[in-house]
Amino acid sequence: MRLVREVISFAAILAVTSLAAAVLVIAVGSDITKALNSFFAGIFGSFYSLTEVLVRATPLILAGLGVAVAFQARFFNIGAEGQLYMGAVAATWIGLYLPHLPIILHLTLAMACGFLLGGLWALIPGFLKGQFQISEVINTIMFNYIAINLVGILVRTVMTNPESPLPMSARLPDDLHLPLMAEPTRLHGGLAIALGCSVLVYFFLYKTTWGFEIRSVGVNPRACSCAGISVKKNIVVSSLVSGGLAGLAGSSEILGIHQRLMEGISPEFGYVAIIVALLGKNHPLGVVLAGLGIAALQMGANTMQRRTGVPASISLIIMGLLVVLILGRRYFINPSPNAAA
Amino acid sequence: MSTPLTLAGIGETFSEKSGILNIGLEGIMLSGAFFSFITAYYTQNITLGVAGGCLGGIFISLIHGYLSIRMGIDQTISGLALNFLSLGLTSFFFLMAFGKTTELPECPVVEALPIPLLKDIPIIGSALFSQDPFVYGMLIVVIGSYVVLHKTEWGVNIHAIGEHPKAAGAAGIDVNRTRYITALLNGLFGGLAGSYLTLALLGFFMENITSGKGYIALVVVILGRRHPVGVFLAAILVGAAEALQFRLQTMGTGIPSQVFNMFPYVITVLVLFVSIGKNRTPAALGEPYRQG
Repeated sequence: MRLVREVISFAAILAVTSLAAAVLVIAVGSDITKALNSFFAGIFGSFYSLTEVLVRATPLILAGLGVAVAFQARFFNIGAEGQLYMGAVAATWIGLYLPHLPIILHLTLAMACGFLLGGLWALIPGFLKGQFQISEVINTIMFNYIAINLVGILVRTVMTNPESPLPMSARLPDDLHLPLMAEPTRLHGGLAIALGCSVLVYFFLYKTTWGFEIRSVGVNPRACSCAGISVKKNIVVSSLVSGGLAGLAGSSEILGIHQRLMEGISPEFGYVAIIVALLGKNHPLGVVLAGLGIAALQMGANTMQRRTGVPASISLIIMGLLVVLILGRRYFINPSPNAAA
Repeated sequence: MSTPLTLAGIGETFSEKSGILNIGLEGIMLSGAFFSFITAYYTQNITLGVAGGCLGGIFISLIHGYLSIRMGIDQTISGLALNFLSLGLTSFFFLMAFGKTTELPECPVVEALPIPLLKDIPIIGSALFSQDPFVYGMLIVVIGSYVVLHKTEWGVNIHAIGEHPKAAGAAGIDVNRTRYITALLNGLFGGLAGSYLTLALLGFFMENITSGKGYIALVVVILGRRHPVGVFLAAILVGAAEALQFRLQTMGTGIPSQVFNMFPYVITVLVLFVSIGKNRTPAALGEPYRQG
């Protein structure tokens, strides 16, 4: 009976979302079939479009994994955006200012430093939460803005390109680029790293003691401290890993796509990653699927806007609606005592 | 600049004092800005525009209220989701109504309303008494909120609910109904703040016109320690930093504007640091309340 109710509720969510999308499309005066066609064409229409979806999904998966790990410990890491930028800063720094190393070494070092700096960025709010119980929600949002502004300062001062007045860093050497996986498309090694990380995160969370402790802290911190599991340590560790993964997303974008540091390399990847983690139920496999799904949604919506005029912001509406519905699903299956109110 | 921050901040203060953390403040402001613009554009009437803005804000805040109060959904996530939803809806309908124009459609703008005698007081006269009605309204709201929150029984009830809803409920206070009312106020003032952006400050609307001001308003609430006057002062601080940044930019110093943009955020983190120990956050902030 429970399973039937689960299936029905998911089907209902799908139905409501599709209905809402359809209503919006009609409201704009567009034809539904045409809209649907262009939407799917944007995703599956060509090999290039498919790879573009994957390119888009890469940072979403990485950052989404980060957010998921944090959420498992009930550490609400809203700061993935800032951690992503810091990872980008680290990767660019290593790429530009380190003497010439063998490419593989150089790339690995850059990615590793991206992980470290992103992790550090999350560590501060994480430490404040673990040690002093200071709410991480506002803190991580603050660090987002600080990071974004820091990037703005860096690309205008210390890291600015001496040959150009534009606020961006110099270009990384051409060969310092994550391997392209399907030329001439933009698909790059970051995807492999993302998928690899999801496997690692799976093992970490579900097959190691550390992961078990982190998940337990998320479920019941009080029981954990009674059982001798250090809540403080695990929150801190989860924030480090979380920020690190988000940092990897930033490094991946620099080393795989942009080849230079500049503002605006992230169209709110960090915030969308939260939705990815939620939709993926904080499980690595779910995050991968959700990341692919959201990337596809965004790409499809873009094409739909180009061809039929239906605003691409429909994807934002759908994302917000999905989250609200999925969160509310539990309520509809089992109304709380508040139902009387 | 401080006006919308103060207004939104006070709305959020009411909500947080009663225990509801609304990260969706950005969505509320955006919704208010959009609806005030649309209403003012089609009716060419500013008062109706303001009303429209308030309703737009209330629309979002009541959704958040319902999700948090009735369904007990995690407030951080629902707030974020509503921000996305609001951004999507406003962008969608704006594009639908006006298409992709390079020329931004305009709406009637509120004008300065100098108070006759008072404005002639030297120096402070023009600064304080030649502002537009929004600013006067904001000052009234600040004073009024202080009185209501700290000097009336209802205000005390709100404090109680935020700290220990079960005890408040046992004492006979209707927790849920009060929380809905604070959610309403949150939307009202937040929507008002959004209306200020379109109807007084800018005169037009565009996608994501609030671009993060809602989050800054959350900062202002924390900096102001969730006290109406504190919120007002914090908003002035942030506004001053922004004004300073503009001035320095026109003076041509090499300091990038980002240094000043960082100001409110760094200060908030420091404030949070300093608040270690004496934690004045309402104890039940963010926790759903189950009756009975």
